Amino acid sequence: MNKKYSIFITVLFCMFIFGFGIAHFIVPDRESSEQENTNLSQFKAPTLETLRSGEFMEKFEKYYNDQFPLRDQWVHLKARSEWALGKQENNKVYFGTDGRTLFAHFTRISREDLERRVSFVNKLGENLDVPVYFSLVPDKSGALPYLLPDNAPNVDDNSTIQQAKELCGEKVSFIDMTDWLGNPSGDEELMGISSFYRTDHHWTSMGAYWGYVVLMEGMGRDIHVLAWDQKALVSDSFYGTTYSASGAGWVEPDSIYTIVPEGGTKGRVTVTRYPEGKPIEGGLYYPEKLEVKDKYAYFLGGNQPLCVIRNPDAAGGKLLVVRDSYSDSLAPFLAEEFQEVHLFDLRYNNMSLKKYVEENGIDQVLVLYSSNNFNTDQNLFKLGL
Amino acid sequence: MIFSSPYFLFLYFPAVLLLYYITPLRGRNLVLLIVNLIFYGWGEPVYVLIMFLSIAIDYSHGRIVTRCKAKGNDRGARMAVASSVVFNLLLLGFFKYWNFIAGSLAAVGAGFLPVIERLPTPWGEPIPFTLPIGISFYTFQTMSYTIDVYRGDARCQKNIVTFGTFVTLFPQLIAGPIIKYKDLDDQLEHRDHSFEKFASGVQRFIIGACKKVLLANALGPLWDVYLATPGEQLTTLGAWLGIVAFSLQLYFDFSGYSDMAIGLGRMLGFEFLENFNYPYLSKSASEFWRRWHISLGSWFREYLYFPLGGSRVGKGRMVFNLLIVWAATGIWHGASWNFLLWGLYWFVWIGLEKLFLGRWLDKAPAWLGHVYGVVVAVVGWAIFAVEDFSAMGPYLAAMFGFGAGALDGMFLYCLRNYLSILIVAVVAATPLAAKVWRKLPERVRQVVFPVLMMAGLVLTTAYLVDGTYNPFLYFRF
Repeated sequence: MNKKYSIFITVLFCMFIFGFGIAHFIVPDRESSEQENTNLSQFKAPTLETLRSGEFMEKFEKYYNDQFPLRDQWVHLKARSEWALGKQENNKVYFGTDGRTLFAHFTRISREDLERRVSFVNKLGENLDVPVYFSLVPDKSGALPYLLPDNAPNVDDNSTIQQAKELCGEKVSFIDMTDWLGNPSGDEELMGISSFYRTDHHWTSMGAYWGYVVLMEGMGRDIHVLAWDQKALVSDSFYGTTYSASGAGWVEPDSIYTIVPEGGTKGRVTVTRYPEGKPIEGGLYYPEKLEVKDKYAYFLGGNQPLCVIRNPDAAGGKLLVVRDSYSDSLAPFLAEEFQEVHLFDLRYNNMSLKKYVEENGIDQVLVLYSSNNFNTDQNLFKLGL
Repeated sequence: MIFSSPYFLFLYFPAVLLLYYITPLRGRNLVLLIVNLIFYGWGEPVYVLIMFLSIAIDYSHGRIVTRCKAKGNDRGARMAVASSVVFNLLLLGFFKYWNFIAGSLAAVGAGFLPVIERLPTPWGEPIPFTLPIGISFYTFQTMSYTIDVYRGDARCQKNIVTFGTFVTLFPQLIAGPIIKYKDLDDQLEHRDHSFEKFASGVQRFIIGACKKVLLANALGPLWDVYLATPGEQLTTLGAWLGIVAFSLQLYFDFSGYSDMAIGLGRMLGFEFLENFNYPYLSKSASEFWRRWHISLGSWFREYLYFPLGGSRVGKGRMVFNLLIVWAATGIWHGASWNFLLWGLYWFVWIGLEKLFLGRWLDKAPAWLGHVYGVVVAVVGWAIFAVEDFSAMGPYLAAMFGFGAGALDGMFLYCLRNYLSILIVAVVAATPLAAKVWRKLPERVRQVVFPVLMMAGLVLTTAYLVDGTYNPFLYFRF
C-alpha cells in the first residue's frame, strides 16, 4: 500500500467510526421502537455509586445499542443477511415457507408441568357448582404446520392440547379446537392461513369465529353469527409482535377485519371496563389503537383485569371467561350469545374467582388460553384458590 | 470492555485515537495508560486496583533485579525474580483457583478452605468475587518481564508510566496475544506512526471483527443447540456437527480477537507478534500447538518447558516435563477439572508423537496427517467445551457411534440452516482466500478492498447493533 492509498483507507475507516460516533450524540434519543414494539433504554447520568458498582456501564451498553443511529435499519439488515445465508429463523422467529408468515418459537413443557397446570383447572371445576369448560387455542405452528421449515424444532405439534384433554377431570368439559383451526379442509382462504395473523401470534377475527363455532358446539348452543360476508376491513397495516422480534422487514403487513359491528349485530351491546378497578364505559373496538404499533389492542382496548360485556337481546345466561389476549377478538361473538360475558384476567386480577362467580350469579365458566400462554403463565394457580 | 461492541468501536476507540494523536509524542504513553485503565475498569471498576498493584510490584522487582545484578549479587537477583513470580502466581492463584481448590477439597471431605463469594473493598461495600478479566494474560506478561530482565534478555524499564503502559496495554489486555516485554521494549519508547501502518491496522482489525462477529457469533448458536441436547438424544452426526461448530467458533472468535488486537496495535503504532497460523491445517498435535495460540505455547516453552530441561534430557524426564507443561496449559484455560483433562489429552498425543508417532506421521501421506491433526483437535474440543463430566461422557460416546442413532430431524434442520455459514467458515480457516487475494493484480485489489472493507464494517455493525448473540468466551481464562 502506498501512502496516498493508505490515507484513503485511513480516512474511510475514520469517517465510518467517527461519523456514527458523532451521529450518536446528535441524533435525538427515541422513547420506543415502533418496529421492535418495545421501549428503548434511556441515558442515565452516572453517579459515583453507579460508576463504582459498574451499574452505569452495564446500562450504558444497552443504551448505546438501543439508541444507535439507524437502529431499525441495522436490525433489518441483520435479518436480511441471515435470510440470505439460508437461515430459516432469526431471533427465535421462523420464516414460513410461503415467505409471508412468521412463527414465534413455541415453549414446550414437561408432562409433569402440564399435569400441575391442568390440575388447577380441575380444582376450579371442583370448587364451583356451575359447568366449567376448558379449551386451548392451538399455537400457529400447530395450526399451520405445513408452512413451517422442515424439521423445525421448538414448534407445537398440538400434543399439549391432546394431553391436556386426557388430564381433564370429571367436572371439566374440554373443548378441542385443533381439528377446526388445524387442518384446512376446503377453502384455504377461509380456514387456513386467515385463522392467524401472519406477523402476530394471535388469531384473526376469522380464527376467533371458528373458535366461537367450536366453543358453542361444545357448550351445546346454537350459533347466531354468520361470518365472512359481514366482514369489515379496519386496518391493512398491522405488524404484529412476531414481526417485531423477527426483524423481517420484507414481510407485508397484516389486515385486521372485524365481523361483528360495534355494539353487536343489534346495536345494544354495552361494555364496561375495569382497567384500574373502577368501571368505565367502553366499546368492543378501539379505533385509536389502530394508530399505534400494537394494533391488536383494537379489540377491547388491550389487557385489563376485568371487562364485562352485556347484551339484553341475548338468550344465554352469564358466562365468565378466564382470559388471555386471544379472548379479546373472540368477545364480540360471545356477546351475541350471552346476556353477560365477564372477561377475568388472572394476571392482573387477584379477586377470588369462586367468590366472583357466586356474587355475580355466573352460570357457566370457560377457561380459555392459547396453548403457549397456558404453558408459560405463572398465575394459573389462582384458578384453584 | 470488549472490542466487539458498538460503544467500543464508535465511542471509546475514536476518542482514544483523537486523544492519542493530538498529544505530542512524549505524552502518548501517559494517554495510553489512562485509556487502558478506563478500558479495564469498565467491566469491574474495583479491579483497576489489581492493575495498580501489578504495575507497582513488577516495576519495583525489575528495578531490584537490575540493582542486584549491577552489584554482582546474583542470589539477590534470583530472590527478586522468585518473589515476582510468586506474587504473580499468587494473584492468579487466588482469583482464579481459590474457589476451585476449596470446592474440590470440600468435595473429597477436606473442606478446610472457605469458599469465597464476596470480596471486601476499601470503602467497605463487598463486591462479588469474580475472575478479573484477562488476569491469566497479564500475569503471564508481567512475569516474563522480571525473568527476562534477570536473564539479560530485556532492559529494565525505569519509567513507571512506560512500564504501566506495557502492563495495561488495552488491545491485548483481555484476550491476548500474550506479549513478552522484550518483544515490545523498543516500541514502548519509540514507535513509528504512519498512514501505511494505520491502514494495515484497519485492514487487520476489520478482518478480525468479521471473524468474530460474522463467523464465530453465527456458529455459536449451533453449538449451543447441541450442548443443551440431553445425552440420550444426541445422534452421531449431530454430535459431530455441534463440536465442529464449536471448533470453528472458538477459532474465529479467538483468532478474531487477536487480529483485532494486532490491528488496533498497529493503528497506535505497535507491532505485535502473530498468535494464530491456520491451526486446522496441522498434520500433528505438536504442529497444532505451533499454530494455535502461538504466544501461549511459546510462553510455556520459554518459561516452563526449557527451564525444566525441555527435550534435551532422558526419555523419562522428557515425558515428565511434557506432563507438567500440558497439565499447566490445561488448567490455565479455566479452573475446572475438564480443562486439566483436556491438557492431559494433549500431553498424551504430543508425548506419543515425541516417542514414535511423529516418525510414523512423517512417513504417512499428507492427507492422513491432516485428518489426524483435525480429528485430534476437534475431539479435544469436546473435552474442553463440555465442562460437566456427566455430559462429556455421553457426548463423546455419541460422537463415536454410541448415541441415539445416526441423525434426526434436528440435525437436518441445523445442517440446512448452518450449511452456508459452515462452508464459508471452513474455507476461511484455510489460506485459500489469502492466496487468491495475493494473486489478484494490485489494481484490482485496490478497487475491491475498500468495497469489502466497508461491506465488512457495515455487516459487523448490523450484527453488533442487533446484539442478540455476542458472547465473550474467555471470561474463564
